[in-house]
Amino acid sequence: MKKKSVSQSTNRQAAIQFQNVAKSYTLKHQKPTLVGTLFGLESRERFQALRGISLTISQGEKVGIIGPNGSGKTTLLKIAAGIATPDSGKVVVKGKVVSLIELEAGFHPELTGEENIFLNGLIIGMAKEEIEQNFTQIVQFSGLKKFIDSPLYTYSSGMSLRLGFSIAVHSNPDILLLDEAIAVGDQEFREKSLKKINSFFKQGKTIVSVSHWLDYLKNNCTRIIWLEQGKVVEDGGIEVIELYKKDSEKA
Amino acid sequence: MVKQWQNWLDFTLALTSREIKGRYKHAALGFLWIVANPLLQMLVIGLVFQFIPGFRTENYFLYLFLGLLPWSFFTTSFSKATPLFVYERYLIKKAAFPRESLVISLILSNLLHLSIGLLLVLPFTGFSVNAVLLAAAVSWLFFFTAGISLLFSSLNVKFRDVDFFTKALLPLWFYTTPIIYSPEILPHQLQQLLVLNPMTLIIQLFRAAFGVPETFSFGQSLLIPLSLTLVVVVLGLLVFKKEEQYFDDWM
Repeated sequence: MKKKSVSQSTNRQAAIQFQNVAKSYTLKHQKPTLVGTLFGLESRERFQALRGISLTISQGEKVGIIGPNGSGKTTLLKIAAGIATPDSGKVVVKGKVVSLIELEAGFHPELTGEENIFLNGLIIGMAKEEIEQNFTQIVQFSGLKKFIDSPLYTYSSGMSLRLGFSIAVHSNPDILLLDEAIAVGDQEFREKSLKKINSFFKQGKTIVSVSHWLDYLKNNCTRIIWLEQGKVVEDGGIEVIELYKKDSEKA
Repeated sequence: MVKQWQNWLDFTLALTSREIKGRYKHAALGFLWIVANPLLQMLVIGLVFQFIPGFRTENYFLYLFLGLLPWSFFTTSFSKATPLFVYERYLIKKAAFPRESLVISLILSNLLHLSIGLLLVLPFTGFSVNAVLLAAAVSWLFFFTAGISLLFSSLNVKFRDVDFFTKALLPLWFYTTPIIYSPEILPHQLQQLLVLNPMTLIIQLFRAAFGVPETFSFGQSLLIPLSLTLVVVVLGLLVFKKEEQYFDDWM
């Protein structure tokens, strides 16, 4: 991937910049094998996930990405997060990206909550000292103080999600990527989570959310990008949501 | 730059300790299992093969153990590493972390086992060891294992049958390496062929480090296995570098 840090930014401090980005996947009907490839039995069908996307998200912008399933929303986030690499085009991301898709990444059931905080923190790109400094807050926010010495397999799924969320929000990201599951856990924790995310909104962090929860986006975003079949249909203010709704009703 | 290296190291070591702790945390006698395997193999193979004419060398059990120890390091690392990226797909799909750390940490955790095994050898050689030769042997073994593991694990993402190939290859490789026999019992032409196998020289080096009688001269034949190792390492790095960007696509 052609990723580089921009220091001489000409435009108003771009946080994420896509230039004519295209991404396709090979459709797989079964496990890919070497034998299959040698004998030409592999599928060559391609699925075009993104078709020449160009957009610039400036620092501090709150962007919502909407579109039907399969329109390329998740691929866009994955490329911005550096998980996937585009086939062509240029991507520049400035600052530390943390996505809330990564909850629970690398949790090991045999290790304690504490050990898992360090492991997961390192996986999402925190430095060791950073985790040490934030450790107390992470535990406090998760509300799992009593269980932090217990191995993770004793946690309920809600508990480990809470731990994962807590680590992610304390990783001090410059750019926050939010996928569908914005709120996890019980009612109380959900409120706490939304409050925390709102505080990110206020701190002027760049936030990109992908969601079908249109009301949430309407209240929290200043810009909406509507994707369909890997292309940008509309890019504008929250009025795009109304256009999208009308279009969906028609169909 | 230094900071980045530090973070990479912290991350790789955290994964290594996850690997070690996860494996032994709840196993009774925990670390005893580490050396139990080559020890038992040595006993069984030693008991049987010492009665077969030609196999028995001076100090046969020590000779065997010093062959089995590096071999079991190599074979566990290589066979576990090959499908590793596919097994860790949930991690790879979720976060952008240095992928090679998965393979390196697996090998590092096995390096701990190897060190413990080597410590056990010391009393039997009267605590005499050539530290320089041993360091050379361990580093050579480490780089060769890392190179071939990176190569095969990267290929296995796109071609899932590579794992079957590895599993079929290893038993054959065991018998083409002088572990349970001495190269001397082979005809001259076959002895020459053994040089094409870097594991031959690596194991001979381990034996030489502990002063175990070894008449096989490897003075002039180092060039071929060393260059083969270099080829494997460079190829492994190149293939990994090229493929890692697209791991997510194939998961």
